[in-house]
Amino acid sequence: MVVRRLFGATGYRTVKNGVWGDHPIFSMVLGICSALAITNKVENAIAMGASVAFVLVATSLIISPLRALIPLRVRIITYMIVISSFVIIVDKFLKAFYPDISEAIGPYVGLIITNCIIMGRAEAFYIQNKVSHSVLDALANGIGYSYTLVGIAIVRELLGFGTLLGIRVMPGGWTNWVVMSMAPGAFFLLGIFLWITRTAAEIEPARRGS
Amino acid sequence: MKEKLSMILFVLVLGSMLTVALVVAHDYTAPIIERNQALKIKTKVLEVFDIDHTKDDVETVFSRNIETTEKEDRMFYISRNREIAFEISGSGLWGPIHGVIAMMPDLETIKGITIIHQEETPGLGGRIAEKAYLDKFKNKKIFPELKILPPGKVRKENEVDAITGATLSCKAFEKILNSQLKEYLSLFRSVHSGS
Repeated sequence: MVVRRLFGATGYRTVKNGVWGDHPIFSMVLGICSALAITNKVENAIAMGASVAFVLVATSLIISPLRALIPLRVRIITYMIVISSFVIIVDKFLKAFYPDISEAIGPYVGLIITNCIIMGRAEAFYIQNKVSHSVLDALANGIGYSYTLVGIAIVRELLGFGTLLGIRVMPGGWTNWVVMSMAPGAFFLLGIFLWITRTAAEIEPARRGS
Repeated sequence: MKEKLSMILFVLVLGSMLTVALVVAHDYTAPIIERNQALKIKTKVLEVFDIDHTKDDVETVFSRNIETTEKEDRMFYISRNREIAFEISGSGLWGPIHGVIAMMPDLETIKGITIIHQEETPGLGGRIAEKAYLDKFKNKKIFPELKILPPGKVRKENEVDAITGATLSCKAFEKILNSQLKEYLSLFRSVHSGS
């Protein structure tokens, strides 16, 4: 409700769409690749979520104010160079200050460049909307993406390693479910996550012929 | 025409501005990243010499126990027991393999190996980075040359078990080890006979 008072009805709708209705992962099914790859540990999921959120906000801060200037025909290239510049900055930052995390998620930081969430939001939103709404949308999508990653990572790390953020939480006799720390575990969990959230958000799969 | 020019101008201006941002970010982080990498190598050197250390005292333990000498841009790390270690690198099956190997003072027996970076198939070739596998190289002789053989065929002191299902990664690793050992050890000998 604070959001509604601060940014008005449009802002409220933007935020609600980002974190729930048009959620990047379960509604638009974007950014799945990274969601599958780096959710084996909560630490990695937080780093990835924060990186994507940062790139989203930074991109919106450049694309939205320039939206009247960006020539229509080169807008995709514009998104690409803006996004890749910020991704490289994030990559350098992680390498310098969080070398362990950087090593664990390795190539996936660079792959944020091709994360469709950022490109998709730039094309669908930042190029058409004013700066404040664009930033709000970027934050909402960043939060939507991050909580999904962290949620999946909590289950995977708990079952796969018996730890949370590296701290042992499962009782001594706990046998690690190795499958959870590997790719198949991510697929199972993401499937379950999509099932629950799409049912809760009442998103119907597109029916043929309708 | 005018439209095209302004389009090119836009891309150029935006591109240059972002490049400046990248250069600033690079200059700021480059020394820190370099220090991280140096620290990582020091950690691996201590690991390969089996010297006790914690994450925070790597620098002090390293400077207290390890002597370094450089020859033709190659670094040699010498422990108090006169064991020597150096970095090895080369191409694995899928990507570069980079590690540290330590030799006993006789320069013929392997003290230990650690891997810093590898891109082999996870669960198969990727297991070359596991301590359990690398421990098999301990106390092996490197003359006439190191051989990685299918499991169960190991008879002599210069032979090591391969990883089942990762024949090609093991072959690549064997090649890296032999060529790097030859190169570094002859360099090391030339330094020491000369001094």
